[in-house]
Amino acid sequence: MIRKSGMNLLLFMCKPLLIFFLIFGVFGLVYLRSSFVKLEYSLGDLEKKKMNYLKERKMLLAEKTKLLSYAKLEASHSDSEGFSLPDRRMKVIYLAKQKSLPYRASLERSQLAEP
Amino acid sequence: MNKKRATILNTVIIFSFVLVSLRLADLMIINHKRLADRAKQQHMKVEDIQVRRGTIFDRKGRELALNLDLESLYCDPETLDADNEDIKKLASFVSKEPGAILSKIPDEGRFAWIERKLEPSTAEKIRGLNIDGLGFMTEAKRVYPRGEFASHIIGFVGVDNQALEGIELKYDKYMKTTGGKVFLQRDASGRTLSSGVNMEAKGNNIVLTIDEVLQQLVEDELDKAMAQWKAAAASAIMMDPSTGEILALANRPAYDPNRGGSANNSDKRNRAITDLYEPGSTFKIVIGTGSLEEKLVNPASLFDVSRGGIEVGGKTIRDVHKYGVLTFKEVIQKSSNVGSIMVGMKLGRERIYNYAKLLGFGEKTGIDLPGEVSGWMHSPERWSGTSLGAIPIGQEVAVTPLQMLRAYSAVANGGYLVRPHVVSHILSPGGQVLASMKDKEMKRVISAKTAETFKNILKSVTEEGGTGKSASVDGNEVAGKTGTAQMINPVTKRYSKEKYVSSFVGFVPVDKPRLAIIVVVYEPKGQIYGGVVAAPVFREIATQSLSYLNVPREDNAGRSSLSVFK
Repeated sequence: MIRKSGMNLLLFMCKPLLIFFLIFGVFGLVYLRSSFVKLEYSLGDLEKKKMNYLKERKMLLAEKTKLLSYAKLEASHSDSEGFSLPDRRMKVIYLAKQKSLPYRASLERSQLAEP
Repeated sequence: MNKKRATILNTVIIFSFVLVSLRLADLMIINHKRLADRAKQQHMKVEDIQVRRGTIFDRKGRELALNLDLESLYCDPETLDADNEDIKKLASFVSKEPGAILSKIPDEGRFAWIERKLEPSTAEKIRGLNIDGLGFMTEAKRVYPRGEFASHIIGFVGVDNQALEGIELKYDKYMKTTGGKVFLQRDASGRTLSSGVNMEAKGNNIVLTIDEVLQQLVEDELDKAMAQWKAAAASAIMMDPSTGEILALANRPAYDPNRGGSANNSDKRNRAITDLYEPGSTFKIVIGTGSLEEKLVNPASLFDVSRGGIEVGGKTIRDVHKYGVLTFKEVIQKSSNVGSIMVGMKLGRERIYNYAKLLGFGEKTGIDLPGEVSGWMHSPERWSGTSLGAIPIGQEVAVTPLQMLRAYSAVANGGYLVRPHVVSHILSPGGQVLASMKDKEMKRVISAKTAETFKNILKSVTEEGGTGKSASVDGNEVAGKTGTAQMINPVTKRYSKEKYVSSFVGFVPVDKPRLAIIVVVYEPKGQIYGGVVAAPVFREIATQSLSYLNVPREDNAGRSSLSVFK
């Protein structure tokens, strides 16, 4: 008797559940589809923005190229800030960095070790 | 009764369903294609992929030619709604007469350009007029931000980005790319959805061998020389003699490639490779290297030039100064015409011609720029009685400055003829190297011993007693040769007494040459000699270039050292 009533309950619940899932599924699909389209709209707007920024970037690059030309630098800085070609009379020797300098506040591990 | 109602209801419902089904069948089966096409038309928009030429860089990656996106103004004559006031304002914005604007608007049609590639500020002002029937389209404009700089190398493009000169023309097929069309979805209000496709297609980029700083140095010095000597024109080329890489190439007069279409044809001439000149004494490299190679002379061989002149074919050729007995080295150092002709006579016409051809004269160098000419030199069968007195000293031949530089580079690099080139490599838009222009054609033309011997002789030209003392550089040894040649009067077809070509070609440092430079000045006023006009220009270019490249001095005088911790 109880089993029969259990089966009946299940059958009784099946129909509304099925209808619920069907409706939920349909609405879910519609929601996903509209989100997808919304995303495509956003991407489209972003692409337009990107093209505008790229356009601006090209303008700025052209301006920068003009300003950073050697001729402009030479003309603007040669008198005041000593912009000049290297003096080949001066020989510059690069030395390796010294390991420990006397004025360092902290000691290196090698210096802390027992002699 | 109920049964009758039910039947009627059923019939109505079934009938309605049948009607709906028929309509559906009509829409979805019979008229499917027509309606689908119409929907596609409404939903889809076709846009062109924007095509951009590749960028041109110097060897350090500095941009020399790039693209800007500018708005071009068009009109739809059918929908255009503009009164006289609007046309006047529009004309003032684009700096044209109202009549000129009106002439661009046809009576029929749906599209006509009004003005191409407007400045952004101008486009904004025109937008602000809010004239119906006007629209904007984005177009690429090729821009050369450094103006006249390296104009003869870079070249320029026309209004539709068609290549017309220089590297733009020579490497056009690499720098341009094919476009295409993209289908974009749009909604009822015209907004487009993303296509996921890159709307810009870029061509390959070109990296030149030119160094911006070296090029600027050369151009500045040429400008100074033009002003000082009020010359008609000038050319200078700087090349790595070991690899053939052109580090700088400049001509005067020059032009602004941003306005290439309106420039004079004579300003656009790349004289370094398109103009021929009689080289004069710089051509003595032929008899110099030829006689050494054939072991006919050595640097200490003696030549009696005390008569000051020599007769060849009934014509007397004289030296500028009278000398006594000169060694072969001194013949070159002092540029004795008499001595050179004596050497030429020893060599003979066949061997003079052969060595000239070996050194690259009479043929194109193969540089990757358009318009190069091969120069000319008559074959020995066509030489006249006076040719043996003319050709050894650089007359009755025509060369380009680049040919001359290449010949001297063969002496500088130990005997190899290099192939000059201005492009280093081609890069894809993503930065990958697609092609590299390594020199594959290194032909040995003279022995290393001959090159070394002649190099030392050329070194004496810039020392005390030489004609090219003004070309000497503080701290490094220079080897080179001066040239002073009369130009031919095109009217009389004889050598002009007023018009000369002054030149100096050389390389520095002598031991391990880094730079080979030629300077040619056409029609200088006041002075004519290569040692006075062109040699100082060489010195200035070489001094500054060696500093920029940090080439060590070969002397230690006055050298101080500065120690720097890394």
